[in-house]
Amino acid sequence: MHKLFNWILEHPKTILFLLFVLTAMAVNQMRAIHIETDTDAMLPKHSAAYINKQVLDEKFGSSDLVIIGIINEKEGVYNKHTLSLVQELTDWLGEQPLLRTLALNDLLSLATIKDIRGSASGLDVEPFMDGVPETQEEIDFLKQRMREFGIYEDVIVSADGVGTVLAVRPQPNARETYAEIYDLVKNKVEALEARGGGEEFFISGRPVIEGVFGVYMPQEMKRMQPIIFALLILLLYISFRTPRGVGLPLLTVLIAEIWTIGTMAWLGFSIYTITTMLPILIMAIGIADAVHFLSRERLLAHHTEYAHRKERIVEVMHELWKPMVMTSVTTGVGFLSMLSSDLPPIREFGIFAAIGIAYALIVTMMLFPAALMLLSEKVDHADRKPLFIDYVEWSSKAIIAYPKRIMAFFAVLVVVSVYGATLIKVDASMVAQFKPDDPVRHADTVLNKHFAGTTSLDIMIDTGKENGLLEPEFLQKIVDLQTEIEKNPIVGDTSSIAEFLMIMNKALNEDDPAFYRVPDSSDLAAQYLLLYSFSGAPDDFEKFMTSDYRQAHVVINMRSDSTDAVATILNDLQAKTDVWFPESEGYKVDWAGTGYTLDALAKMIIDGQITSLALSILAIFLLCWIMFKRLLIAFIAMIPVSLAVTVNYGTMGNLGIPLDLATALVGSMALGIGVDFAIHYLHRYHEESIANNSYEESVINTNRSVGHAILFNTIVVVGGFLVLLSAALYPQMKLGALIAATMIICYFATVYLFPVLLGLGKEKIKV
Amino acid sequence: MNITMILTAMGMVAMMSSPAFSNEPTTGLEVMKLVEARDDGKDLTQKMMQRLVDKRGNVRERRLITFSKDYGLDSKSVSYFLSPANIRDTSMLTWDYADEAKDDDQWLYLPALKKVRRISSSDRGDYFMGTDFTFEDIKATPELGDYNWTLMGSEMLDGKDVWVVEAIPKSKQLMKDLGYSKVVYHVRKDIDMYIKVDFWDRKGRELKHLISTGITQIDGIWTATGGVMKNVQTNHRTELVFSEQEYNTGLSDRMFTERMIKRGYRGK
Repeated sequence: MHKLFNWILEHPKTILFLLFVLTAMAVNQMRAIHIETDTDAMLPKHSAAYINKQVLDEKFGSSDLVIIGIINEKEGVYNKHTLSLVQELTDWLGEQPLLRTLALNDLLSLATIKDIRGSASGLDVEPFMDGVPETQEEIDFLKQRMREFGIYEDVIVSADGVGTVLAVRPQPNARETYAEIYDLVKNKVEALEARGGGEEFFISGRPVIEGVFGVYMPQEMKRMQPIIFALLILLLYISFRTPRGVGLPLLTVLIAEIWTIGTMAWLGFSIYTITTMLPILIMAIGIADAVHFLSRERLLAHHTEYAHRKERIVEVMHELWKPMVMTSVTTGVGFLSMLSSDLPPIREFGIFAAIGIAYALIVTMMLFPAALMLLSEKVDHADRKPLFIDYVEWSSKAIIAYPKRIMAFFAVLVVVSVYGATLIKVDASMVAQFKPDDPVRHADTVLNKHFAGTTSLDIMIDTGKENGLLEPEFLQKIVDLQTEIEKNPIVGDTSSIAEFLMIMNKALNEDDPAFYRVPDSSDLAAQYLLLYSFSGAPDDFEKFMTSDYRQAHVVINMRSDSTDAVATILNDLQAKTDVWFPESEGYKVDWAGTGYTLDALAKMIIDGQITSLALSILAIFLLCWIMFKRLLIAFIAMIPVSLAVTVNYGTMGNLGIPLDLATALVGSMALGIGVDFAIHYLHRYHEESIANNSYEESVINTNRSVGHAILFNTIVVVGGFLVLLSAALYPQMKLGALIAATMIICYFATVYLFPVLLGLGKEKIKV
Repeated sequence: MNITMILTAMGMVAMMSSPAFSNEPTTGLEVMKLVEARDDGKDLTQKMMQRLVDKRGNVRERRLITFSKDYGLDSKSVSYFLSPANIRDTSMLTWDYADEAKDDDQWLYLPALKKVRRISSSDRGDYFMGTDFTFEDIKATPELGDYNWTLMGSEMLDGKDVWVVEAIPKSKQLMKDLGYSKVVYHVRKDIDMYIKVDFWDRKGRELKHLISTGITQIDGIWTATGGVMKNVQTNHRTELVFSEQEYNTGLSDRMFTERMIKRGYRGK
């Protein structure tokens, strides 16, 4: 190691040049980084939810539609003005190159949907609206037909007639255009709104939600970075009061950040919502290494004479590399435990956090020595009374004077937290990630209130044979299934090919309501569909069945994407479809859709959470045991972090913060960062003990040095993560608040509870 | 708008010896008038196979036998489905009027319902019977007055000398009704028959290609015995194969009535 350190010090310019080149390369890579907002891409590629969604999109067309709601509270939608807006918007959407508008199911609106009517002699398939209705009679007729037809009620026009919806499909495989589509539609809609009239417009749908996410994420990264930098500059200045004391640590974390993102881009990984928090995390953790280096260097410069500054710096490097590597390893292990999750965003967050921490360590060990060799030696600043010194001294006294109160406080905290942890819920909802006053979330709420719901759940039933879905028994089962599903209040609507066949059956039997039932024979159903193809388009039913009439698709619209709601429906229905469509009879039932994806996501979050937490506790415990060589000390070292993690879950449970992709990270993160505190503390306490100091003296001395450093570290981490509270998206806010809270608990547990525990027993615990 | 039109579009008939213009045409419209001015026989009987191929390669096959007959500028046709089994004996009767103002009449007999049902008339841009052809596409020649025609030049296509004629719908409304912003016809100079047609959608994007195949002379009349319409946006395609053509056999008027289609096809 000495050789390496000496080499670094002898070639400072080479080192700086190397750092510069590597950073420039990373910056170059960074520009190619891809931002992933597709919820399905957050699932592992082998999971049923991911595969089924691909199958669904391929067989029945993508169900990801941009939804534009028009609400006219005063007059309802059945008036000439609103209907002319629907027509105009439909025509306009039909002309947009970014949208796919080939078939009926690509662009659904009052101006495109088709009515199936029986007449004395035959069957009429005609648009409900052939141009804007001119007279009141025509408008009344339209209203009456929509009601009688039924299928589109609640889907295209709300049951109360107050609102109508246009749903349009983006071009396939053009996810990168989603944000552009949202802007395009928003501008058009605003122009229509500006003309006046009682109509309000709302834009939602999964492409919109994901598109807006994709815009928010990099924006937020760019916005928060300077704030965190400013905060760091302030804290560093308070601590060191020299330009290099501010500049070098800042440069270190910046380089580590750039390298990390550059590596991600280079290896072809994407940025997810949660990985946008990596830079902040690396900054908060990486700064610790830089600060330790600088503090130690200063201390030695002040107290010890060296022939040359090179010797002094070597000494610093030699003293620090072991503890720095140790703490980096424990933190890294905490993050790497996230690899046990099945979810790519969580896995990648873990990997790149660990990589970032390693980079921070490497950059510290290269940049600091090289820079200090090149910068001119300055007369050190006079000893200043360290900040917070009064508080630190007070805390030592408090620890020695009130051990029982401290124990009691933590005991109460544990009880409250354990209770809270039992209340914890999981929620993978996309919409809930937006703040309530965000236009996207607001639009979604309004649309869910008036219509069948913006969250899709899809059942694909394979009958196992060609023309199988035309069988009357099968169609009747589908109808029964839909009736059963619609009993659930969270379900807004269901639709299937059975409904259309029932309408045709009625239309072809003189509109006799008694014939509103599935066709009596498979041949009859086939002939109805052939008849329909003379008036309707070939792909009108593409959404509901495959062209070989083998597989049927039942579409369910739900008014909420909350995990609880979805899980209840899924559990209930899966039990029923198993009985109705048994595999022994050749059926195969597959689930898909946003609801199913989110449910799978929630389950994987919980599974990953439990294993990754268990793994990181075990790994860090083993590392501590190896480091301190004593089981008891390893146990004690785990106490503050375990406590902090318990408090984290307790707080989430008590405050109703659900476990989601972002908050699921807090446990392992807190464990990884927090254990550093314990390691530093125990190291110092050990040193004090072997110097034959009494318990009280050891506590006071340890607190004076390590306690102070930990305090600074806590302030930096907490400050960094609290900046996330200003984020536009909930996941970042929640993660920021929880990490900050957890770090504070960790600090208190280390500085206050540790010494109290070490003071237990007559003999006191020897470290 | 019916099967007759498919037949005339696909099994196009050209009178080799008497082109309408004695000189080489100089405009797009003149070329299309040549295409229009063809005699397609008095009546025609033939079998047709439709193969609907979706983007995953799944094939749906249907077989029909069709009879058609001219009544001045109007025409009538009857088609019987031979397969698949679940639509066998379903039959269709069409009376097609040259008068633009008059909607065509179309009836379908559903054996499972044992009833004849009228079918509402469709828009020109609507797709036909689940194929990739719209009602407009299955006409022998498009409505010449609806487009601005431009002769783009000549080229060699599959070893044949063809005129390339571009058609642009005359109004925005027509573009919307037809579903096309541009259509390009490749017309064989020797037999006045188009053998390739390219379609662009309303947004100006490449949409479909029609290619006629197996062009031979039957009963002295030039006939395309196959055709493929491929939609490049949906990757769906329709293949048609015609066989057993018989021209001018003197089909009786009785064949083209509701009563007859109920009876079903009895073979010959």
